[in-house]
Amino acid sequence: MSEGAPTSWEEVARTYGRKIYNFAYRLTGNPDDAADLTQEVLLRVRKGLAGYRPGSFDGWLWRITRNAFIDEVRRKKRRPTVPLPDEVDRLDAGSAPEPSEVLASVRLGDDIQQALLELPYEFRECVVLCDVVGLSYEEIAGAVAAPIGTVRSRIHRGRKMLKELLS
Amino acid sequence: MSHPGELLSAFLDGELSPAEHRKVMRHLAACEACTTELADLQRARAAVRSLIVLEPPPGLVPAPERPPIRRRVPVWVAAAAAAVLALFIGVSAIAGPRTALEVRLDEISTQYGARTSLDPNVTPGQVIPAIPSIGGAE
Repeated sequence: MSEGAPTSWEEVARTYGRKIYNFAYRLTGNPDDAADLTQEVLLRVRKGLAGYRPGSFDGWLWRITRNAFIDEVRRKKRRPTVPLPDEVDRLDAGSAPEPSEVLASVRLGDDIQQALLELPYEFRECVVLCDVVGLSYEEIAGAVAAPIGTVRSRIHRGRKMLKELLS
Repeated sequence: MSHPGELLSAFLDGELSPAEHRKVMRHLAACEACTTELADLQRARAAVRSLIVLEPPPGLVPAPERPPIRRRVPVWVAAAAAAVLALFIGVSAIAGPRTALEVRLDEISTQYGARTSLDPNVTPGQVIPAIPSIGGAE
């Protein structure tokens, strides 16, 4: 374990559970999917914590989170509520939201959330990791397995698109 | 410098090297278009950061640990401690006045002892080079 890394699953869940849930929510825009994803991530952490090797714990955790998200979206492909990375361009932004989704979006910055969902997946992921989770570019690069230059570009382009979508 | 382009977001996030940061600063001072773009990026970033932090549904994740409750020391314990302290002061007075150096040595010894007991890498008796110098003794 690296210094400061949690030593038990419970500690990870207590320390990071809320962050993982918020990451999942902002990526999916859906409380049910966010809860499913958070549960899946915590299960994977529970299984994988014993095999964790010293290094960036945040990088390790967010890599698991990101992979769980992609797997979860693929699993739900038959009844998609979240666009797959390569399906973003076909996002049907006009589809009717679930009642629970409507309820959750009230007072939660629904216009900003909707704009986030319209970003290509790779941009949305980097913007959320940067501005919602609060990771550094280096940590994001570790989580999404991309060079820092790519992360920088995705965040920049994501913000430019957000600006257009919100204005 | 040509327009910084995607360096602007990294500039906003404090993710540039000091040299790159200075270059972008100099460019911004002379380029209105980039200053406007920077303001747009800042607004977009602020919008995402303004999203409220959501609480997970109950039972999904364990609640954060509460800080330990500080117990009040029972009165009899405090009284006993005061008595021991008074006895110690009395014995010290009988033993005669201590020099400033002795007092300072005691302070250092206390600090040193506390550090070794907290640091598992330090074995008792191990010489630690970072012991502060004793005032004027060197």
